Amino acid sequence: MQVTDLYVSAPGKAILHGEHAVVHGKVALAVSLNLRTYLRLKADTFGKVCINLPNIDTFLSWDLSQLKQLVTYGKRDEVQCLDAELVRRLREFIGVSNGSLDTCSMANLSFLYLYLSLFGSGELPSLTLTVWSELPTGAGLGSSAAYSVCLAAALLCASGAIPPPLKEWEHTARWCQEELELINSWAFQGEMIIHGNPSGVDNAVGTWGGMLRFLAGKIIPLSRVPLLRILLTNTKVPRSTKVLVAGVKDKINKFPSIMVPVLDSVDAISCTCEKVLSEMTCEPITGEHYNILEELIDINQHHLNVMGVGHPALDRLCQVTLAKGLHSKLTGAGGGGCGITLLRPGAFYCAFLNDYVKSNLF
Amino acid sequence: MQVTDLYVSAPGKAILHGEHAVVHGKVALAVSLNLRTYLRLKADTFGKVCINLPNIDTFLSWDLSQLKQLVTYGKVDEVQCLDAELVRRLREFIGVSNGSLDTCSMANLSFLYLYLFCICFLSELPSLTLTVWSELPTGAGLGSSAAYSVCLAAALLCASGAIPPPLKEWEHTARWCQEELELINSWAFQGEMIIHGNPSGVDNAVGTWGGMLRFLAGKIIPLSRVPLLRILLTNTKVPRSTKVLVAGVKDKINKFPSIMVPVLDSVDAISCTCEKVLSEMTCEPITGEHYNILEELIDINQHHLNVMGVGHPALDRLCQVTLAKGLHSKLTGAGGGGCGITLLRPGSTVQELKDCGFDCWETSIGGPGVQQHSAISVKEEILEILNYY
Repeated sequence: MQVTDLYVSAPGKAILHGEHAVVHGKVALAVSLNLRTYLRLKADTFGKVCINLPNIDTFLSWDLSQLKQLVTYGKRDEVQCLDAELVRRLREFIGVSNGSLDTCSMANLSFLYLYLSLFGSGELPSLTLTVWSELPTGAGLGSSAAYSVCLAAALLCASGAIPPPLKEWEHTARWCQEELELINSWAFQGEMIIHGNPSGVDNAVGTWGGMLRFLAGKIIPLSRVPLLRILLTNTKVPRSTKVLVAGVKDKINKFPSIMVPVLDSVDAISCTCEKVLSEMTCEPITGEHYNILEELIDINQHHLNVMGVGHPALDRLCQVTLAKGLHSKLTGAGGGGCGITLLRPGAFYCAFLNDYVKSNLF
Repeated sequence: MQVTDLYVSAPGKAILHGEHAVVHGKVALAVSLNLRTYLRLKADTFGKVCINLPNIDTFLSWDLSQLKQLVTYGKVDEVQCLDAELVRRLREFIGVSNGSLDTCSMANLSFLYLYLFCICFLSELPSLTLTVWSELPTGAGLGSSAAYSVCLAAALLCASGAIPPPLKEWEHTARWCQEELELINSWAFQGEMIIHGNPSGVDNAVGTWGGMLRFLAGKIIPLSRVPLLRILLTNTKVPRSTKVLVAGVKDKINKFPSIMVPVLDSVDAISCTCEKVLSEMTCEPITGEHYNILEELIDINQHHLNVMGVGHPALDRLCQVTLAKGLHSKLTGAGGGGCGITLLRPGSTVQELKDCGFDCWETSIGGPGVQQHSAISVKEEILEILNYY
């Protein structure tokens, strides 16, 4: 094994513009959040593999001898589709053969799959992995993808497939483009296990960071983006993404002449936003840049309400922040869930706002 | 003179869908409100013309000899443009030569203009007393000036013999035929031009024909059948400048055309969809689903109007308060305050709006345009006022 002790982290993600419309072929902008998942990988000689996930109160370990039986043999550099046979065996092994998985089982399955896929052909290493995340789970913020990206990066390093990039004097280091692509492919496999049919945006953001444009299945990392401060709010109103997405589709089918232009408008919002953010990296940032970003947020939030994915809790978030001159919109599926508020430069905001928002909302 | 005692009324108007977008070439739907302006015309022999407008505390009279000097002679079947010369003379006569007019002067000017023009059909200036009472608030974008102009035009055209009074002895109300309505509308439009400078013509068209009208790129088409729907009309009483709001929308469209033009297209589709549903409601039994659709359209359009930038916190409050009662509202007209309409379902009402400090009227939309009334068919309180002077 190449490395014996390794720390990695990957960011969560938020959709800045284009949620829901993206399902119907429009441009979406996804951004990385500076809320990260951290993973420590430590090699040892205990003859076990241990994974500790204190966030979800999950602590698992397996003897290497147990795991050896599960290994499948076949071409392993084709990272396009899941090894269905391995998945089947693992589900049986964990004891969740039928039906859906809870968070704990999904994390488990995902880890074992990546571990066995990457080490299956040789000797299984004895490892302890510990994961800690700043991201809430199930809030649409990409926590499962950040986990998968960390796992992929750490295990690929541990297996020698990619080198650990950190020099002795460095605090942090990143991999090169091809190595990131490899990490991303394996992370996507992890996502497929957890989500079935993921878009790939979450793991792409976790891998490349910054901002990505997402259109009709194509994911394009954007070169330069300004660092913007936001307030991320979880209304904690539960909702089913599946139901919300279906509802939007129904509404489009019910009133196509009214709804299709709304989707076009959202597409234009994403494109305009990308343009403004790009300008903000080339010229001095002015109040007018922020004005435009705020107008775009407001318009998109109206369009999302038109699509039917609003919620009174989100309206309250928008009102409360507007009272402070700040602009918010839902991010992700809507119907509750999370909202983002654009913050203007000014160090005094955060603590004050956090309290204000908390006391007014939840 | 043909008639010596005449009661007429004309409805106010509200835009159901399409405000602001209509300025940019999209379809708008305008509906009549069952809040009406009433006018009584009485011939007498006092040698004067009197006009009583108790709503705006205005009571004016002129000797016929004074007015005789103002009459111009010329082609009067051409009802397209204002007779600028007459308007100038009248402004001088009233004493408002320069600058803008207050409500009182506008009503005055409008009346005198119509009087002098319509009366050209007769050889002699008749001595008349006109009394007007309106259920409509002024300056709220609800077509009160047009309802006034329509009443004036109908009454004066009748008085001059240009059109017959349609009311039969046994009838309560009666309407004029299509050509006569077109004549009334043309003259009412002249009155509107005096008051507003460059009106769209929608207000007087609604006042004349009632029901619902489709308005697109300057063409006004009365729609044949519309269901009578109950609405709540709310005046937030927040003042605003229509001119400023319209300019603001234009600026936003120019700033973000790719974002805003689809929004206008969506509003156009809302108007068309609404027209279709209302038409269905006159042909088939009305169901809850019809109301559901009308309510969805109201909500979507209200969002689009906010996107255009013509919303206001008072209107948001209106929408929230009514939504808490399961009712759906949108601004009507210019926005930025002003009035809102709420679609009522059979049996619903909203006391809480009055608690917000708004003025509210429960009324219906789609009622008849200008009509002649028998005395007894006019509401008692209003008849009292009309007969008082």
